[in-house]
Amino acid sequence: MKVPALVVAACLLGLSEPASAHLVSTRFGELYSGLMHPLTALQHLVPWLGLGLLGGLLGSHTSRWVLLAFPLSVGVGALLAGMLPAAAAIDHLNLFSFVLLGVLVALATRLNRPTFIGLAVIVGLSHGFANGPADLDGVPLLLYASGVLLAAYIVIATATAMTHTLSQRTAWGTIAIRAAGSWIVAIGLVFSGYSLMSGLMSAGPVAAG
Amino acid sequence: MKNNLQNGLRPLLTPLFAILLPFYATAAFAHAETGVAGGLVSGLLHPILGFDHLVAMVAVGLWGAQLGKPAIWLLPITFPIVMALGALAGVAGLPLPFVEIGIASSALVLGLMVALCFRPPFWVAAVMVGLFALFHGHAHGMEVPSAVNPLAYGVGFVTSTGLLHLAGILIGVLVRWPTGDKLVRVCGVAVAAVGLLSLTLAFGPSA
Repeated sequence: MKVPALVVAACLLGLSEPASAHLVSTRFGELYSGLMHPLTALQHLVPWLGLGLLGGLLGSHTSRWVLLAFPLSVGVGALLAGMLPAAAAIDHLNLFSFVLLGVLVALATRLNRPTFIGLAVIVGLSHGFANGPADLDGVPLLLYASGVLLAAYIVIATATAMTHTLSQRTAWGTIAIRAAGSWIVAIGLVFSGYSLMSGLMSAGPVAAG
Repeated sequence: MKNNLQNGLRPLLTPLFAILLPFYATAAFAHAETGVAGGLVSGLLHPILGFDHLVAMVAVGLWGAQLGKPAIWLLPITFPIVMALGALAGVAGLPLPFVEIGIASSALVLGLMVALCFRPPFWVAAVMVGLFALFHGHAHGMEVPSAVNPLAYGVGFVTSTGLLHLAGILIGVLVRWPTGDKLVRVCGVAVAAVGLLSLTLAFGPSA
């Protein structure tokens, strides 16, 4: 008698509805929305990984401040996107940064600290702007921008730490990272070319993202 | 009689209930973006499903390993970038003559380089690999406009190509040992044989 009862109980679990434990349907939903937007868009995720790879190659002394500056710039960019009209130039800048970051990683370019921080801020502002909310109707902008900022921090901190460890502890680490940089250049070139040729840019930053 | 029937059916009720219950389940929607996943898988598979693509990419890694530094890392870094330029031509619809013949030839020539352990000056190796990369890139690039998600497709085929180079380099590490060196050269013979077969098919009646 006990076994059928357990089977029925287990089967009943299959009837359960989603718990809605994450507050997506409440006001915190915009935080998750902002968090997921760049993480599910490869045109943002791949260049951000490129920035993290470059930071890891440059070492902790140079890249430490970027861990703070980049997410903040992305957050500010997302806030600005909620206040300013969309600009197609931002998309072009993002495509350029895609290829540029890959080239810098592939060449293992030794940037000094101010230059690297400046680059991270420009990339952060433009990518943050492109991650702005598509429709402001009822969207708590600060909460959404916080989500985008959090995503930027997760990506940049993880990529920088992993790259730094790999390049410091293994003889082949730097070569592998430079090879990854060449992959980013290749992907960036193909995507930029496709975007520019197909007129995808006219769809605007959020639609393209 | 009725009690016997009830007693006979009773053990079947629970399994029957368990079998029928899953039909009540709805879709999980575990993949957030079908387009990204579809494009990525399509891009990852494109260099693998073409056997001449596959062996030529592995041969780049094998040859790099035979040539040693700096070719072992410069060839796999150069290849994706030049391949992207070929892909751009494909995206733009610019015709590149003899693409299939070029890809098959790349497998034949690179396989022969590995089999003969040919060591030209580095720039000659780079130019050869770069030239072949244009053909491979063009073939991949032609598919970009029709991909479910062009960016994900691009990420897929570049990553797949890079991993095939890595596979070649890892096999090529065997050149440190005399027996391994012979094994790598045998791999080169196999690559060249696939290239020759593909070349024959490319020149065949269906080409």
